[in-house]
Amino acid sequence: MLSRATRAIGTRSPLPILQGVLIEVTGKTMRVTGTDLEVTIRTDLEVEVLEEGTTVIPARLASEAVRKLPPGAVVLQAADGEVEITGGGPQFRFRELPADDFPKIAEPDLTGAVEVDGNAFASALSQVAVAASNDDARPILTGVFFESEGGSLRMVATDSYRLAVRDLPSMEAELSGLVPVRALRELKRTVGASTLRVAIGAREATFASDRGTLTARLIEGTFPNYRQLIPESYPNRVTLDRDALLDAVDRASLVAEDHIPVRLMLQEGGVELSVIRQDVGGETEHVPADYAGQEMTIAFNSRYLNDGLSVVDGDEVVLDLMDPLKPGVLRGTGSDDFLYLLMPVRL
Amino acid sequence: MERFAEHIAHVDMDAFFVEVERRRDPALRGVPVAVGGTGTRGVVASASYEARRHGVHSAMPMAHARRQCPALRVVPPDPRAYGAASEAVFEIIRSFTPRVEPLSVDEAFLDIGGLRLHHDSPRGFADALRAAIRGGTGLPSSVGIATVKLLAKMASGDAKPDGVLVVPAGTERAYLAPKPVRALWGVGEATHARLEQLGVATIGDLASIPEATLCRRLGPSLGSHLAALSRAVDPRPVEGGDVVKSISVEQTYERDLEGRAAMERELLRMADRLAARLRRAGFAARGVTLKVRFADFSTITRSHTGRAPLDTAHDLYAAALALLDRAAVGERPVRLLGLGGDNLDDAAAPRQLDLASGGWDELEGAVEEVRLRFGDRAVARARLVEPPATPPEPGSGTPDTGRQAP
Repeated sequence: MLSRATRAIGTRSPLPILQGVLIEVTGKTMRVTGTDLEVTIRTDLEVEVLEEGTTVIPARLASEAVRKLPPGAVVLQAADGEVEITGGGPQFRFRELPADDFPKIAEPDLTGAVEVDGNAFASALSQVAVAASNDDARPILTGVFFESEGGSLRMVATDSYRLAVRDLPSMEAELSGLVPVRALRELKRTVGASTLRVAIGAREATFASDRGTLTARLIEGTFPNYRQLIPESYPNRVTLDRDALLDAVDRASLVAEDHIPVRLMLQEGGVELSVIRQDVGGETEHVPADYAGQEMTIAFNSRYLNDGLSVVDGDEVVLDLMDPLKPGVLRGTGSDDFLYLLMPVRL
Repeated sequence: MERFAEHIAHVDMDAFFVEVERRRDPALRGVPVAVGGTGTRGVVASASYEARRHGVHSAMPMAHARRQCPALRVVPPDPRAYGAASEAVFEIIRSFTPRVEPLSVDEAFLDIGGLRLHHDSPRGFADALRAAIRGGTGLPSSVGIATVKLLAKMASGDAKPDGVLVVPAGTERAYLAPKPVRALWGVGEATHARLEQLGVATIGDLASIPEATLCRRLGPSLGSHLAALSRAVDPRPVEGGDVVKSISVEQTYERDLEGRAAMERELLRMADRLAARLRRAGFAARGVTLKVRFADFSTITRSHTGRAPLDTAHDLYAAALALLDRAAVGERPVRLLGLGGDNLDDAAAPRQLDLASGGWDELEGAVEEVRLRFGDRAVARARLVEPPATPPEPGSGTPDTGRQAP
């Protein structure tokens, strides 16, 4: 529980107090809050309360300490500016941080929250999160865009080199906003549960379960108009076994590392996959496939291709192409709920 | 791939300053000409081959030269014209290979080992290069090619004027042997005198003396140096002297820029200029740096290195705006803006395409062609047609090597 709240804490926070977690004990509950001001994680636990109180303790140290204690009950006790953590013999003492300095954070706002299947939500998120950017230079691209498409939920992410779009037809929800992918990546390990309540307000998104709440400040700005990037039709379609292509890309990546494109030569009967690296060598192989279209060679970054293949639904995938300079679209055969569009590498 | 054995070329322009003068004044052709100071203390900077036949050579006092050759036409030097001609020559040289080590305004070493695909022989390369220089600038040049720098330079001297000499691999010592020892680098007055005492007149004589003996007589450093050179051993590689690491443009404004709109307009203009420079140099930048100097002279820079190389104004402008946001300039008055590209990739290298920039590539390529033919002002963005805060200074861009990018 401590470690869950700790996941909200940034590694390079400018404020020392943000290296701490706030512990509030009232009634029968202990609440632990960690925040970096952008993302706040709160977890609640029913405890045997000996005395009510509030303290802030160094997050990482305390959560590591609790982890290293022998199994069994843990006692937390604050006195004289120190917090004592004991259990099964060992006794840790940590200097308290000034509780008054801990930022005042509004209660999570679950107005208009919708209840969703937590597992389906998490797996959909993991499909689009691969396409989000980790580059803070363009904040807009570091989020997952939630919107309503035909009354049901849609998630979209792009780092401008690829685009992932996931529809959740089973989740009827009018949610809209750009949520930092950093926060969403913590969702499963912190408040993930089989039932999740999700609310996206004007400034914040809140995710709640019986394990606690995660609140993330929305990214400001307009998400790119991704719809216009998805081609209407494709003259060339290749259908192949997902794992066969994934294995082939994996082998090619050994040579390609991260910067040499993997070439796909599409022809009747299959795909000749190859990678050539001037100073090292190369790899080539044949992947059987159904191909309807003209012969062509298109190249992709091996990691982007691998990311897409790893998250696409189904054992058989379809790659739709126009020409070597236009985006390719990857989908599971017979599945319209997820698409992964990736830009090629110009040779 | 197999390389040419004779992989070092030395390119030397023939009577460079004189030929530049002849290009604009045909009356100077075929007569003895010297470029140099015309005053009483002037010296010869460059002499035509006709003048050299009368004993006129560079560094000679002009008065002396006139006595040697009364018909001598003396032309005062025009450094600006020579600089421009030099740039044009180097641009042509670099279109053959980036492995260029300039020695001065009119000579350079080139590593041509990897050009086997493009030329069937070193001589074929030399002919093509000289023809290109002649065709592009109207100037004559000579080329020497050998396995090492020392011989390549000697060979270009022997090839002059307007010729080519290739010293085939395996014949280096035979080529060197009859030459006087004075031709070797490192043999000045004093050393020459000591070598004469040893009975050494030619490089062949020098090569026949054991290295140990030379080291004893001349000292270990000079001894082994000369022993190696006399045996045609010269391991110095061609130093790609001015590998361009970054290309940038900047502009100081006569009146400080105020407000976001003015900054954006100027950044668009700079992105346009930077893109043109990158394209002409054959580069695309993965790194972009924004420099902002405020009215109080405090300066900040913000950089970003991405995955995709950029060379369109559209992309560079987007990158510049993102950096401007990070710089949080606010409403502070700005006296200078700079925009630079670094982490330069070969523009022809495989390139990860970007969802957002589709189409800009081709558009800007077309604009660039128009500009090359009709000048930089032939095409401009609609947003930039209103007059700039201050007129752009020509050539205010600065590759960090101090040399104009090719």
